[in-house]
Order: sequence, then structure tokens, then C-alpha cells
Amino acid sequence: MATEVAEKPSEDAPVPGKVSNRFDLEKETELRFEVESGEAAEQLELELLSGMAEVFGSELNRNKKYTFGPGSKIAVFTWQGCSVNLYGKPEVSYVSKDTPMLLYLNTHAALEQMRKQAERDNERGPRVMVVGPTDVGKSTVCRLLLSYAVRVGRRPTLVELDVGQSGVSVPGTVSALCIERPADVEEGFSVQAPLVYHFGSTTPGTNIKLYNKLTSCLAEVFSQRCEVNRKASVGGCIINTCGWVKGSGYQALVHCASAFEVDVVLVLDHERLYNELKRDLPHFVRVVLLPKSGGVVERSKECRRDTRDEKIREYFYGFRGLSFYPFSYEVRFSDVRIYKIGAPSIPDSCLPLGMSQDDTQLKLVPVTPGRDLTYHVLSVSSAEDGEEGARKGIVESPVCGFIVVTNVDTQTQVMKVLSPAPRPLPRHTLLIMDIRFMDMK
Amino acid sequence: MADQNKKDTPEKFCCEMLSPSELFAARARSHKIPVKGQKDFFPNDSDEQRERLEQSLNEHWSLISEERVERLGSIVKASWIPSEQIVELQSPAGKFWQTMGFSDNGKQCLLPEEALYLMECGNLQVFYQDLPLSIQDGYERFLSSNTVSLQQYQVFGHLKRLGYVVHRFDPSSEPASYARQLNLPQSHDRAGRQVKRKRSTSPTPAPTSSQTDTQDASERMEEDQCSHDGEEAKKLPELHPTTSPGAAEAQTDATSSPDQSGVRNWWMTDVGRNSGNQADHHAASGSTRWDFSSILFPDLGSSERLSSRLASPDSSLLPGTLAVGDCNISPWRRRVNQREVKMSLKEREEDKHRRQWDVNRDREVRQCRNWAEYRDLLARREGKRKGQPAHLWNREVTPLHDPTQPISTGELLEKISVIKSTHLLDGASRLKGSDEWRICFNVYQPDMVADFKKSNPGKPYSRMCVCSFDGPVPDLHAIKLLAFQSGDVPVVFAVVDYGDISFYTFKDFQLPTDVFP
Repeated sequence: MATEVAEKPSEDAPVPGKVSNRFDLEKETELRFEVESGEAAEQLELELLSGMAEVFGSELNRNKKYTFGPGSKIAVFTWQGCSVNLYGKPEVSYVSKDTPMLLYLNTHAALEQMRKQAERDNERGPRVMVVGPTDVGKSTVCRLLLSYAVRVGRRPTLVELDVGQSGVSVPGTVSALCIERPADVEEGFSVQAPLVYHFGSTTPGTNIKLYNKLTSCLAEVFSQRCEVNRKASVGGCIINTCGWVKGSGYQALVHCASAFEVDVVLVLDHERLYNELKRDLPHFVRVVLLPKSGGVVERSKECRRDTRDEKIREYFYGFRGLSFYPFSYEVRFSDVRIYKIGAPSIPDSCLPLGMSQDDTQLKLVPVTPGRDLTYHVLSVSSAEDGEEGARKGIVESPVCGFIVVTNVDTQTQVMKVLSPAPRPLPRHTLLIMDIRFMDMK
Repeated sequence: MADQNKKDTPEKFCCEMLSPSELFAARARSHKIPVKGQKDFFPNDSDEQRERLEQSLNEHWSLISEERVERLGSIVKASWIPSEQIVELQSPAGKFWQTMGFSDNGKQCLLPEEALYLMECGNLQVFYQDLPLSIQDGYERFLSSNTVSLQQYQVFGHLKRLGYVVHRFDPSSEPASYARQLNLPQSHDRAGRQVKRKRSTSPTPAPTSSQTDTQDASERMEEDQCSHDGEEAKKLPELHPTTSPGAAEAQTDATSSPDQSGVRNWWMTDVGRNSGNQADHHAASGSTRWDFSSILFPDLGSSERLSSRLASPDSSLLPGTLAVGDCNISPWRRRVNQREVKMSLKEREEDKHRRQWDVNRDREVRQCRNWAEYRDLLARREGKRKGQPAHLWNREVTPLHDPTQPISTGELLEKISVIKSTHLLDGASRLKGSDEWRICFNVYQPDMVADFKKSNPGKPYSRMCVCSFDGPVPDLHAIKLLAFQSGDVPVVFAVVDYGDISFYTFKDFQLPTDVFP
């Protein structure tokens, strides 16, 4: 199937010195390849020569070269058959006939049927929650379904609840993004004016109460949007969740289903979770078990950390670190107020009468700026600056941007920050994340 | 009253001359007013009390019955014109002209209360049909519902005797609220007109004539302004304390709300449409039931083994011009992750327990058709389980605060303060005027009498509202109205208890709150 035309200097291979591999794909098969990760790894280029193909729901243009950076794991799927050229040496590359794409497409068809009905009956469209353990391709399924929905003219909303591997904003946040065009093959969805809430950590377990609160916030804002925007209402939403499906993580999923009033739950490759959800969700919620794609690879801890780092770098420097030029300036401690959400737990006997322990999880704790602040990512809360009165709204306020502390000078009481915009800071309430980012590249 | 028996003929009165010895006696007589002493509130049937009362009464009677001796030259003559309810001076006015009276077409005139006061002071002799009026006549003729009431005169006289300059309050002389807001200087024209109080409004709540036509301009203006929210005002005849900090602001609201409402309407149409949608939408979502028997999901887990082949989806639902065949799902069924999760004994036990529990076995849950109903059900059950006294919450009157919701002390106090604090001027501009309470007099301080100008009296020291001790206490509505009408001059309530007059005033103050949020 894979005919190798290696080392053949011709006009077919315009990049000299790169290996060129030609693949001819039959209908309903996909080419999977991985690009080596690491600093020294070279990029890969992909070109569609004939036929039609798509990468996670986004169609490829013919004779356009797509570049994939180190660590990329790509599947090129074709419904009709095509031939593609791969320039460079992939770590792995093979063609698979065995893809669940047809099942995913059928899922999309069912959702589209629901949207049509919603449009006809002036109802709201399907709200879909995608759940499953880690590394089953939840984000990919979301991207696929969203891309398909946009391609048939819908305006779905992506709700990103995966605080570890956010597809929309930096890690440690939950967010919602209105999807207006299919994902870019290289960059993913264009991130324009997402609604982002600060969570502060890469796993919901650190503050499950806050996680559920933010889920409710997002659900409320989304519902409000649906009320004023018919198109968004019909488009519905697709909720990406994190891979924590036991204990509190599972309870968070049930809470999310209730907060968003989901209609469909897609369970990826986890029959036990499927059965549990069928028991715990009311009968009018359709729970669907889907297989994972054989192409899904498990990601190591390091790999996840690298992706997170990459995501933060992308926030400041743009895709592949090329398009944005962040600013670096000093901020006086006295000009900002830094908080952490969630107080450390204290013994019940020390609590005021009638207060329960849970309440501390949503408390704002002022952080004294010090040397340990260095490299931490800080969210700039959009809560109005002001005294005590404004404080209670901070947890539920969306974030207007992020900065990274690069240096702290306790002597002069200033810290140096990396910021996407020149000074001054738009707001002066900062929320600290557990996540750190070192600007090394 | 004193000279009642002597008023047989004017000639006799005018010609009555005193012999030197009589004159001397009259001059030397003590003019001391008897001391009233403490007031006795209840008769205690004791002789002592009776004697004291009798003595006091006798003193008063003798004081009243005493003949007043005045120099003929210092008595100003005047005549009572009942049709106009004024007293016109016949001879040049005395010193009192600096603070009292007004000119009308070159004639010097006095208002009835002023004339009566001057009569009592022995400065004025009023003739009616060429006959001099006694003080008693004055009381009978001058005090009427068209001029001033007895109580108002009592207050007037009391203040005059204390040295204050007292003028009738003319609501039209008050700058309109918008002028006050803009801090406009009072136009001279207005001030001039005020002096020539041609027909100054009677401070008495006259039911018909004078009061209505002199309905003040500001009020009228306000009415115009308020006309658009007249319905609202009607709906809220009672006080509607708002939290806006001042009348000025309230006024701003009032003036700007027409455009605002216009703008709002403009928005509203949009919102209205949306909310209509929303209503539809909600109504619809009430019956939302996706028919999942016709909406086919490729569910690998479904126990009902439909067909192992999924029919190809309608191509109109698919992106692009995609046409796909049917799909065999049976191989996927086998491949899906069904591996046993490693569990400890305890977890296994819990799991077993959980497996027996299914929300959908519940009949009530099965009856819910959507999330709203389901959550309602859960909330109901939650309430029951918590032992929250549901009977407190399902009635029309519910507790002000749910104790399970922790909020700060400050917020809690705010929440349970049913009677909201209000400032005197809050929302006063929107209130409808009432006839019951009216400001009667402007009062100027005695120390400015020396350079007092009737043409430009300046800002009064205070304004008097006269009421009776028997009558009702002014409600907040009345107080707000009067305070608004008076602007930055304090309104004093003169409460007449027969002979005694007490003065009360209402002032804004802040309730102290001992809360640190």
C-alpha cells in the first residue's frame, strides 16, 4: 500500500534532503503517523496529491503542504480514497483499515438529526458530553464532531473541562469557545474570544468544589447565550471532560451532566463507566458507548507536561512561537492583589459555628508576594478592581488574560512579568495557579 | 375683648381722653405677664390645685380685661376689605412696615394675620364700615379658612412675639426642582413679584379657591415629568424609598428616564423578542423528548441487539457530499474495553451495592421528562432528607434567609432588614402632592431684622408647618414631600396644643452598623 519513492530527486520532492513517502489510501482507511518528539526532531510535511482526505474532521487542500511539529500524532482519513505524500521521516507511519470513523460519523448524523429537529421545533440543540478515561481520544472525538457540525453549517460550542490538557486556553482553566469554522489542520480551532475561568491546577481533584462551581458557571453562561442566540442554541455544545472517571471525578461528571442538562453522553471505550452512567443519569439522557480508535496512543507524564508547556508558550508566543511577541515589564506588589482560591483545610473545631469545611474550598486567600512566586502562571481576573465588595465575585469572574512571573525582587517589592499586552495590567486582581512556566526557548 | 363694653360709638372711642392721673396710673401699671408654671395634666381633685388654677385664671382674665392705653399718634388707621381679605392702611405705616405688609397699586396693605397681630400689639386700629373693630372682632373676621386658621395665627403670633420675621410661604417662589438642581440664581423678577404678594397663597389648606391655582410651578413641572411614570406612582401611593442618595439624583432619574425608557424600549423590542423566544423555548424544552428510537446512535453497549449493521446515514446530515455505506458494528462490540477494573474488597463491595441502585428504577424519576423536572424532584427529596422544615418554605411567606447558605454578617443584616432605611429626599420628587400637609410660613431670624428687605428676603431660617396636637402625626410621605418642597431649608412642625406650641423637626441620620465585613 505504501509505495516508497525515497531519495528520488524530482519535482515531486521540492524539499531537498527530505525523504518523501507516497501513500495511496483506499476508501475508509486512514494513514497514521507520529513525528518524533524532542528538540532536535525535524518537522514533517504532508501533501494531498489526489482524492479527498481529512485530518480530524478538517478537509485537506490538494497540493498544499501541511507542517507538523515534533510530537504530533496525526491520522489522515479518507472516505473516498486518496494519495498523499509525506516529506520527512516519521517515527511511525502505517495505514489502518480499522477505524471507528464510520461510527463517529453515524454519531454526528444522529446529532445533526437532533439539531434539525431542534431547528424545526424551536427547541435547543443537543448538548453532548464526551467522557472516558485518559488516552481514548476524547478531545479528538470532540474536534471531529465539532468540525463536522460546522461543516454542515452549525455553530456548536466547545466546552473544555479538561483542566490538564485544555484545547482552548492554557492548562488549569475551564473554558467555552464558539466554533465558527472547522479546525485548522495544523493549529486546531481558532481561539477567538473564548470564555475562560481560572481553576489553577491541572487536576480537578485539587479542588473539586471549585471545579463543580466553574462547571455550573459555564453552564449558566452558555444557557444565557442560547437564550439570545438562536444559532448557538440549535448548535448545542460538545463538552470535553477530563479522564478522571472514578470517585469525585465521576461525581463531577454527573454534576456536569446535570448542570449542562446534557442530552447525550458519549462514553469512549469504558463499558463500566457506561453502565454506571446509565444507572446514575435519568432515563431521558442517552448514554452511548463508542469504541476508541486503534490509533490512539498513550501519552506519558512527560509528554503531557510538554504539551502543557507548549500550550502556555503558544499563548505568549503564538503557534510555533512565531506570531506573537510578548512584553516583559515590572509590576509593583502594591499595585496588585494576588489570591489563591481554596484555603488549606482546618480542623472542624477551629471553624466558626455553622460553617462546614467545604466552604473553605471557594475562599480567596491573599498571597504575599515572595520569591516562591517565580515562574508561576497568574490569571488576570476580569473582576472589577475595588475593595471588599468586589471580592466575592472573583471566583465566578472569567479571566481576561494570563501573565507569568519571571523574576521577583523582594528588595524593591517588584516582580517582572511576561505579558501578552504592554503595561498596564487591565485589572489588578491576580489569581495564582499551581502551574509553572519557564520561558526557556 | 377688653374694650368691648366701650365700643358704643366711634366718636366716644376716639374722643375718649384720659386725665393725667389716669394716664399716669395706666403707665405705672405692671406689664408683667403672669408666669404659667408647670403644666398639670390631670385633675387630682385637690384644693391646692383648684386654687392654683383659679388664681391663674383670674390673673389671665384681669390681664385681658385691662384697658390698653396707647398714644393716639402712634396708632395706624386701616380698613378691612372683606372681599379681598386684606387690610388697607389709611394712614402712613409705622416701623412694622419694614418686615410686614405689601404694596398693591400704590396702596399699603396688610395681610389679616399681620393686621390682627398689630392690633394685639396696639399699633393698629382697623375700621370696618367706619366702625373700629375690637380685637375679638379681628379674631372673628380675619381668621377664616380663606386666610389663616386660628392655630396658624397662634404660631404666627408666637414667632412674631419672639422677634422672628414671619411671611406666608409661597410655593411658587420656590425654584423648580430642576432649577435647584442646576443651581440657577433666583431671577430678580420672581423675587420682585414675590414681594408684591398680590394674592399670596393662603397657608390654610383651602379646599377650593386659592390653593389650586397657585399650585406651584415646580410641582406642576414635576407632574409633567412624572406623567410618564404616573402609573407607577399611582401604583405606589405609599412611600417608595429608593436607595438613591439624593433628590437631585432622583430628579435626574426622573428627567432622564423618558429618553432612557425610549432607549430601553428600543432594546426591549429586541429582548422582548428574545424573551418571547425564550418562553417558547422553555415551553418547548418542557416537552423536549428526543425520540431516540428514530435518532440512531451507534451504541455499542445497548443490550437490545438491534442489528449488527448500522444503516447508512442520510447524506443530507453529513458534511460535504459524503455518501457512506452501512456499518458493521459487531466487531467493535468485541473490541471495546471491558476489562475488569482492579478493585479492593471494600471497593468491590461498594460496587456491588451500587450496581443494585439505579435512578431509573424509581417511578417518579421515570416520570420526569427533562432535567428541570428531574432536578426539581431531587431538590424536593433533598429538602425532605435534610429535615429542612419544608412547611416554612412552601408557603407564600418564607423565611428571609436559609441558614444553610453561609453569607457574611453584613449581607445577612442587609437581607433581614425588611424596613429599608431612607433619606428624607429619597424619591421625594416622584411623590404626588397632598393637600393635607402644607408649609405655612417662612421664618427669618430676628438678628437680620435690621437689614431685612421684603423685596429680597433671602433664604429663610426655617419653614413652618402648622398642625394640631389632636391631629395625626405626619407620615413619611408627608415629611418627604415637605422636605422636597422646602429644599435645603429645614421644615419645622409647629404643633399647637391649645395655648402651647411645640416645635419639632425631622433630620436624616445614619443608623450605626457595627459590622466589619
